[in-house]
Amino acid sequence: MSQAIVQFSQVHHRYPGGGSDVLNSIDFQLDAGEMVFLTGASGAGKSTVLRLIALLSRASRGQIVVAGANLAQLPRRQVAPYRQQIGMIFQNFNLLNDRSVFDNVALPLVIRGHSHQDIGRRVRAALDTVGLLNRERARPETLSGGEQQRVGIARAVVTKPLLLLADEPTGNLDPVMAQEVMRLFERFNDVGVSVLVATHAIDLIERMDRRIVHLEDGRIVSGAKMAAASKLPLGVL
Amino acid sequence: MARTKAQNAADAAPQNWLARTLQEHARVFFFSLGKLVNHPGSSLLTAAVIGIALALPAALHLAVNNFQRLAYTWQNDLQLSLFLKDGVDETRGRELTQQLASRDGVKSARYISREQSAAEFRELSGFGEVLDLLQHNPLPAVIVVSPDAGRSAAQVTVLAQTLSALPEVELSQMDQQWLQRLQSLLAILERVVMMAAALLGVAVLVIVGNTLRLDIEARRDEIVVMKLIGAPDGFIRRPFLYGGCWLGLLGGWFALLLLTVGLAVLQAPAHELAALYQSDFAIQGPGLATVLTIILGGVLLGLIGAWWTVTRHLAAIEPA
Repeated sequence: MSQAIVQFSQVHHRYPGGGSDVLNSIDFQLDAGEMVFLTGASGAGKSTVLRLIALLSRASRGQIVVAGANLAQLPRRQVAPYRQQIGMIFQNFNLLNDRSVFDNVALPLVIRGHSHQDIGRRVRAALDTVGLLNRERARPETLSGGEQQRVGIARAVVTKPLLLLADEPTGNLDPVMAQEVMRLFERFNDVGVSVLVATHAIDLIERMDRRIVHLEDGRIVSGAKMAAASKLPLGVL
Repeated sequence: MARTKAQNAADAAPQNWLARTLQEHARVFFFSLGKLVNHPGSSLLTAAVIGIALALPAALHLAVNNFQRLAYTWQNDLQLSLFLKDGVDETRGRELTQQLASRDGVKSARYISREQSAAEFRELSGFGEVLDLLQHNPLPAVIVVSPDAGRSAAQVTVLAQTLSALPEVELSQMDQQWLQRLQSLLAILERVVMMAAALLGVAVLVIVGNTLRLDIEARRDEIVVMKLIGAPDGFIRRPFLYGGCWLGLLGGWFALLLLTVGLAVLQAPAHELAALYQSDFAIQGPGLATVLTIILGGVLLGLIGAWWTVTRHLAAIEPA
């Protein structure tokens, strides 16, 4: 059995002031080196799963273990070092527009205290991987949506994280760019990074032979590879 | 797991602690300085307000110091006049003067005979003709005693009382009551300076805090992104703390500039006034200790103001 990098056990979550649980009895495992897609309609709980893993919220009930750390017991001062192990990619990119592409990608390395030489080497390698080496001095706002997302990806992977989380990473991209972004995730996964992608883009992922976990109203209704999942009744996916 | 523990450890500890700390502080030093330079208008305005707040107690402190110096000079210039009885002849008077001059606590003693007193009176008073109308010289011989420099007012008073009791002395005179009042007034003023410094110090904290609060709000999105990618609070807080220090430092320099200009404006009229009293007194500017106190005080207040504000506001900013 593979070692789990993310393990959800009977996780419930309700936002403060919310009437009902956003997540209901979630049992879910992401193995080390695995790439999984989280699908479901808006409000199904995909983003909440990622938020709980990224410790942007704490689960109301149940246990979440990420890379051996029980998140419910992680003290506040350990949250930042914990997040440094995770690469996060957002639909709205979350780039700093007053800094260059290079500086945006370098930020996680600066936070971790890498040397100037190491930062230069790693940032250029990451930008090369996402095909933006020639734009390192540009400001993010001068780039296209696809390029901005690739900067976000470079920033997420520059520290060689254990786990890559992506929340609707192709939501603001055209189909060609979206496919390119998905291919990048596969490349990182191929070198051992565990990847969890929350997405609506069924047409984009159906060609990829990866496990899909489908959520409906905060419950997992299926968790199978695309080939198996495609046999489910229409509407489940 | 796909990545080895050794690989993870190497990524987690990229440099040794000292190198990492030095590099980080150097980065924040220039980054925060750059922020200040990129917004010269608002930075200078804030520094000017801090400078005025620091300059006010510093100017009061300098004023008190200069008055104390003046009072000290006056105290050292104090002279005790011992008016001798008519029966004491000049020989005895000069003998007594020599005895007093060698006495402990006395810097010098000078004998002024009755004839010299009359001559001085003629020359200085403008009523010399009045003496001509009298059949004999009414002015007594005087011994003018200068106490040792550095003696306190109380010690000088004791000396005056002792010398007044000498059998040859008819009367003694030393008007130092006004000097004691001045010193009491200066002691009160010194406390006023301390209270003003404390109040204006709080004002500096508020000014720095408010400036940085606005800066934090303006950089809210950046802070959120930093927290998302795992920046610890210390990393996010550091540039603001440096920003507070820079504002305090600039404010300190501005305060010194104000003091220097103020001193330059006052120096000439003060010198003229002193000359009227046959004194070479000149206003003394801030010494090294005062300069360092103003600069370091500014930096420290900037740092405390920044810490106070950043700690309060950073906790409220969390990724949504």
